[in-house]
Amino acid sequence: MFVPNEDNTQLSSHFFGDLLDSVIVDVASESHRLAKLGLDRNLEEEEEEMSLSAQARARVSDPSNNGETNGKHVVDIFGQTYPSVASKIFECMNCGRSIAAGRFAPHLETCMGTGRKARLKVTRSTTSAQNRYSRGSPVLTYSLSTNRLSNGTPGVAGEYSNDTYKEP
Amino acid sequence: MCARNSLYTNPKPCKHLADYKLRHGFNGYDSLQNCLKITPNGRARVDKHNTKIPRCNFCNGSQGRLYICLICSAISCSSHILLHTQSEKGHEVAVDMERSELYCCLCRDQVYDPDFDKVVVSKQVKDLPGGSKSNGFEGGCDGSSKRKRLDSGIGLDLKKSKLLITMRDRRAKSCYPLGLRGLNNLGSTCFMNSVLQALLHAPPLRNYFLSDRHNSFQCRKKSGEKVCLLCDIDALYSAMFSGDRTPYSPAQFLYSWWQHSSNLASYEEQDAHEFFISVLDVIHEKESKMLNSRKDDGYCQCIAHRAFSGLLRSDVTCISCGFTSTTYDPCVDISLNLDTSILSPSDVANKPIKPDEKTGVSTLSGCLNLFTGAEKLGSDQKLHCQNCQELRDSSKQLSIRRLPLVLCLHIKRVEHSLVRKMSRKINQYLQFPFSLDMTPYLSSSITRNRFGNRIFAFEYENSDSCAEYEIFSVIAHSGMLESGHYVTYLRLKNQWYKCDDAWVSEVDEGIVRASQCYMLFYVQKPLFYKANEDTRCVRISPRRDPFSSTAGCSSNAK
Repeated sequence: MFVPNEDNTQLSSHFFGDLLDSVIVDVASESHRLAKLGLDRNLEEEEEEMSLSAQARARVSDPSNNGETNGKHVVDIFGQTYPSVASKIFECMNCGRSIAAGRFAPHLETCMGTGRKARLKVTRSTTSAQNRYSRGSPVLTYSLSTNRLSNGTPGVAGEYSNDTYKEP
Repeated sequence: MCARNSLYTNPKPCKHLADYKLRHGFNGYDSLQNCLKITPNGRARVDKHNTKIPRCNFCNGSQGRLYICLICSAISCSSHILLHTQSEKGHEVAVDMERSELYCCLCRDQVYDPDFDKVVVSKQVKDLPGGSKSNGFEGGCDGSSKRKRLDSGIGLDLKKSKLLITMRDRRAKSCYPLGLRGLNNLGSTCFMNSVLQALLHAPPLRNYFLSDRHNSFQCRKKSGEKVCLLCDIDALYSAMFSGDRTPYSPAQFLYSWWQHSSNLASYEEQDAHEFFISVLDVIHEKESKMLNSRKDDGYCQCIAHRAFSGLLRSDVTCISCGFTSTTYDPCVDISLNLDTSILSPSDVANKPIKPDEKTGVSTLSGCLNLFTGAEKLGSDQKLHCQNCQELRDSSKQLSIRRLPLVLCLHIKRVEHSLVRKMSRKINQYLQFPFSLDMTPYLSSSITRNRFGNRIFAFEYENSDSCAEYEIFSVIAHSGMLESGHYVTYLRLKNQWYKCDDAWVSEVDEGIVRASQCYMLFYVQKPLFYKANEDTRCVRISPRRDPFSSTAGCSSNAK
């Protein structure tokens, strides 16, 4: 029967200390080799990139900074402005009707007769599984077919309603 | 700028090591080789007697670091190693028994000798099951003999494309780089616009289409098909590089794409990465038909694969005996998990990180390390080991066997919770560099690392492709999972531009660094510099001569 007492505790911490030392020396030895053989020569450049990123983030999150103007309602570099829904009119190549650019996609969908939700759920997962390798990830339970970020107009309440996006 | 003459700096031996070698040559090394034991994970240990525990000659202790003298094989612990040197003259070099590293007792430091490393590696190769045929040694494997066909034909087209660009330049309104033009959002199509902007400025693709490698007229003659996505891409390039600066509506392209990928044809929120893969697929299919080749082995000559295709290597190692089996898979991009292990508990709750907290930043190199790290497969995933002839616990490791010309890195920002049956987006910031060196993630580096980073010329290290990349485009996503917005940042002639659908603006590089990246596009350095000297903008001078350039406008990229 192994009863913990002072001697045993000392012994355990002695063993632990030994193991810890061994691991530390191991890492030190490996790093030493990498450094001496010049295999970590990118360390300086990496550090510089890291610091540039940190500076950039600090500048962006600083509220006193004007930062990026919301590009939607400003004049762009070519000196032009545009409405939020593209207004350029052209002919649909399927039916010939005149459509505004910003409404072309929804029009085309009904025009081509491709149902919206009908076949998507099934076929999307099969095609996106092509040309991929699989890698089990212990951290993120990740499913190949549905790792997608969508775009579109807001208004759909997210399931994580407290997951508001904040600028970095 | 890219090719390294040698992968290692050969460190100069200390005086004591040099002396030892003069006097004893390889005798010590050779006799030590017999005492080396190779563990299944590839490490070499010094183990003279299989049954006896090695003990220090002076204190009889067996703990801490033990060193074996190269001359007399006496074992000393780190506390007493100096005593041995003092008692025996000239016994100055020993070997760390745990790691098989040379140790100079007088310098009190680890020292290195290529000859010693060679001895160790030879033993590793000999002892590991499978020998030189497996374990990552690609003696006569696929890639070593075939020279990489570095953009054959793509480089040659630069002259022609240059001419085409300068000719079109006459109508340029401003001195901004050609090809810079907004794309109208056709109704939730920013996922498409963002990817198109990146593809439009990928040097191999840009050169290919601008030098008329896909001729619409000939295409229609040959195939007789009315719809060809490649023709539409060609038309897109022509329009975007025409010099016209009003936003372009890629309606014809959308129509063509939906006809090819009917399963993705819907007006709704879609994923940019999915679209990217889909476009490459369609290009490949179409070109394969035309080229009459159906190679899926990564050497496909279609423009999509020539630009983006690389080769991944997967090594599965048996934990019990060390036998490694290797497979290769082509890929057109790399999807990376965020290295979230560095997150502190406060990050998990998605609270903003304090600006002065240095720790806890996800980095691209962290993600790449995670990607190429050895991963122990769970006990429920035992694999059959050829050597042991039964199911064993294994570890798996990915590495890059062949790098593509254009490297697309996709950051997986969706997290699924099986428990709550919900998905959510990971807004974690990811630091990424503008200059990226992919050398540490190559198969050659991974293999070398597995064998202790010894100084040894593994056979296939002389690859003529460049591992140094420069970033040229970033696709950033903002917003939530089901509703958000994509924008593309483009780097042209060392100036960053933000392409937000129809709106193109100049931005400071800091904005790009601070953005929430979703897809990163890097191109090999030589191609990057070539591309950035080509798109020379021409300012219309007062004399209305479009070919004379004014100072400051035609400077080459850094």
